[in-house]
Amino acid sequence: MSGSRGHELAHLYDHPGPAARRRVLVASVLSVLVLVAVLALALRELGQAGQLDADRWTPLLSADIASYLLVGLRGTLQAAAVVAVLSLPLGVLLAVARTSPHRLVRVPAVVFVELFRTVPVLLLIYVMLFALPSYGINPDVLWKLAIPLVLANSAAIAEIVRAGILSLPRGQTEAGLSLGMRRAQVVRAVVLPQSLRHVTPSLVSQLVSLLKDTSLGYVVAFTELLYRAQVLTSFNRLLIQTYVVVTLMYLVVNGSLSFLAARLRARSDTPVPPPALATTPGAAVVTAPAHEEVRHG
Amino acid sequence: MDALTQHGDLIAEALGTTLLIAVLSTVGALVIGVLVTVARISPVPVLRGAAFCYVQYFLNVPLLALLLLAVFALPDAGLVMPLTTTVVVVLGLYEGAYVAEAVRSGVNTVAPGEVEAARALGMGFSQVMRKIVVPQALRAVVQPLGNVLIALLMNTALAATVGVVELTSAANRINNVLAQPIAVYASVGVVYMAMALGLGLMASRVEKRVAILR
Amino acid sequence: MSETRRPRRLGFALAAVTALSLVLAACGSDGESDSSAAEPTGIFADAPVADDAAIGEGTTMAEIKERGELVVAAALDAPLLSQQDPTNPDDVEGFDITLAKLLATYIIGEPNVKITPPASETREALLQNGTVDAVFNTYTITEERAEQVSFAGPYFMSGLAVAVPADEDEIGGIEDLDGRTVIVGANTPAVEAVPEEAPDADVISFATDPQAVQALLQGRGDAYVQDYLLLATNAASNPDLKIAGEPFTEEPYGIGLPPDDPEFKEFVNDWLLKIQEDGQWAQAFEDSIGTAVDSEAPTPPAIGSVPGS
Repeated sequence: MSGSRGHELAHLYDHPGPAARRRVLVASVLSVLVLVAVLALALRELGQAGQLDADRWTPLLSADIASYLLVGLRGTLQAAAVVAVLSLPLGVLLAVARTSPHRLVRVPAVVFVELFRTVPVLLLIYVMLFALPSYGINPDVLWKLAIPLVLANSAAIAEIVRAGILSLPRGQTEAGLSLGMRRAQVVRAVVLPQSLRHVTPSLVSQLVSLLKDTSLGYVVAFTELLYRAQVLTSFNRLLIQTYVVVTLMYLVVNGSLSFLAARLRARSDTPVPPPALATTPGAAVVTAPAHEEVRHG
Repeated sequence: MDALTQHGDLIAEALGTTLLIAVLSTVGALVIGVLVTVARISPVPVLRGAAFCYVQYFLNVPLLALLLLAVFALPDAGLVMPLTTTVVVVLGLYEGAYVAEAVRSGVNTVAPGEVEAARALGMGFSQVMRKIVVPQALRAVVQPLGNVLIALLMNTALAATVGVVELTSAANRINNVLAQPIAVYASVGVVYMAMALGLGLMASRVEKRVAILR
Repeated sequence: MSETRRPRRLGFALAAVTALSLVLAACGSDGESDSSAAEPTGIFADAPVADDAAIGEGTTMAEIKERGELVVAAALDAPLLSQQDPTNPDDVEGFDITLAKLLATYIIGEPNVKITPPASETREALLQNGTVDAVFNTYTITEERAEQVSFAGPYFMSGLAVAVPADEDEIGGIEDLDGRTVIVGANTPAVEAVPEEAPDADVISFATDPQAVQALLQGRGDAYVQDYLLLATNAASNPDLKIAGEPFTEEPYGIGLPPDDPEFKEFVNDWLLKIQEDGQWAQAFEDSIGTAVDSEAPTPPAIGSVPGS
């Protein structure tokens, strides 16, 4: 991603001559100074409050605490895996249903997707926590977290996959049908393989936001990373240190996933020369859904 | 709907808080998003790196973790702000990264020829940005930006977990009194849907008006 | 060319997802923690154990004894009350959880307790559908809740109390707050209670507990009024702060029990009386909350003394 950027956007500025190079240098020095100043200010503030003292950080490095947080991370990954495994097929199914020519199939899918795209996940979790138990529905905490996340994420995945389906030329479907294939066959053999491949990077990005969503386990007392972090802070009272370490743990795990998404995106982008992509009006539509999915954190 | 009318005052106030948080952090996120995008495509490597790190951090760390950090941990370092302000700042920073992602893909739709033409006319980087790239990039990503704003609206609900009495938290309070969970949560859910629908329609109308036909 | 690539890429994503789920499946789950000791020691060594007559046949107690562990809803993140030790996650300590282990000892003979951390406000549901046997979770007895669940106790009387900087000697309780600047938490009962008790006090409110503590220590107010146990926790971790006097409002904590099980409730009340007489109640207090406040263990509230119990 970072490597290709310079090339991809090279047209935005001239090849720097001596004057331009000097200006860039000055700008670089200035921005380094500003960044360093901001950082120094923050560190000074932290230092004055005694938050940088070594004995406030070393407890987090002990094997006991590390394994305590890692078990939390395992819970995070476990919840994310459950949600991903359930919402991927459901999302694909919804996308196919939403693009179906039959009203009876399409309408429920539209309602489902629009409903769970526009209601906060936290509200759904509250429904699981406070509303359903009084009707005798009281699943395990994992499911109290996973069910709302599956509903929300399958709606998001449905939108991603639908965008992929819509980006296919209509001729593909028509060709399949004219060969005498049934619609279900066309979807299975022609539409889905191509559109899923097209949106794979976006699906991986959705995995990132799904994994972030599992931090709502904090609300239902499910043993995941953020919940454990909170129990840990009540024990060690090292709030800044604990939460900084935990955000870094999320950054490492999700950063790897994002990196994977970026590589997949770069690979699927290479066959098409960027200028051609950029100048067709359809391009905006194709690239647009590519962020929709990054969304939903 | 009974549930809503009985506690009209609380609902109205909580809705106000939700809207306040949403509007203020939207403004913040849009400004931050555009600035970060410009930094990300600037000829200054340091700025590009800083912007890249910024976006990656906020794209990959859960909003809830950031809220807990800002609300409960930072006061330990003497950084104490009113609760709602803290939420607005965190949400603005967080969604700013998503706005930056959206706008950057809009930059890709600006035809290189236009930029080259502008440069040939003698425009500098900041002029090219202000007059050519950013306006067109924004116009190309109205729909994705609308989606970011809908998600921002959904994310205001997380303020409930740090003690702000916004719509979701109000729903909880009312349910504690009324013990009619389905009615209460459904009503509030409808309010969120209506707001999201409004945002979506607005995005469509704006898009129609500003879309660039090439 | 992209046709030949497809299987590889999709396959890769699929393989990654499958591998992830397999690894995780192997990990197993542990949302709940077991805290059991092999040999009852310390406070549990001499704790009372019910005889067979008291347990009876076909009762909830007999069921728990048969099972060999008491399932309770208790926090993991409440210092002095029920706090998990992250360096040893099986170890949960505090006043609430010690009482839970004492009850387990009374029924089973060993302090075997299984903890399910409740999310706020789901405790009634946990009791109603039988997920837990009892709730030890600073569970305030109210008549409203008593319609849905049963309460044994009260076993502890908390309430609003006054905290002051450690070097402050003039304020001995709520009665000394008239004319002073008093810090309260926004949206806490203190907002209304302080003006009632000290009409001339100047009340300023802060959003969170850490902010309020910081404001007090920075001298932005003379005293901080908050729940007694919360203040005790603060005092335990912060030597610059101390509690002045006793709670001045009443917040009776009870042991939440399943509804419509009068036998079990009577049994738990009998046990509560026993540990109060035998001294385990006082010792549990001394070992936990007592480490954070200057005063001796208070007299426990009379069982059944509040509406709803």
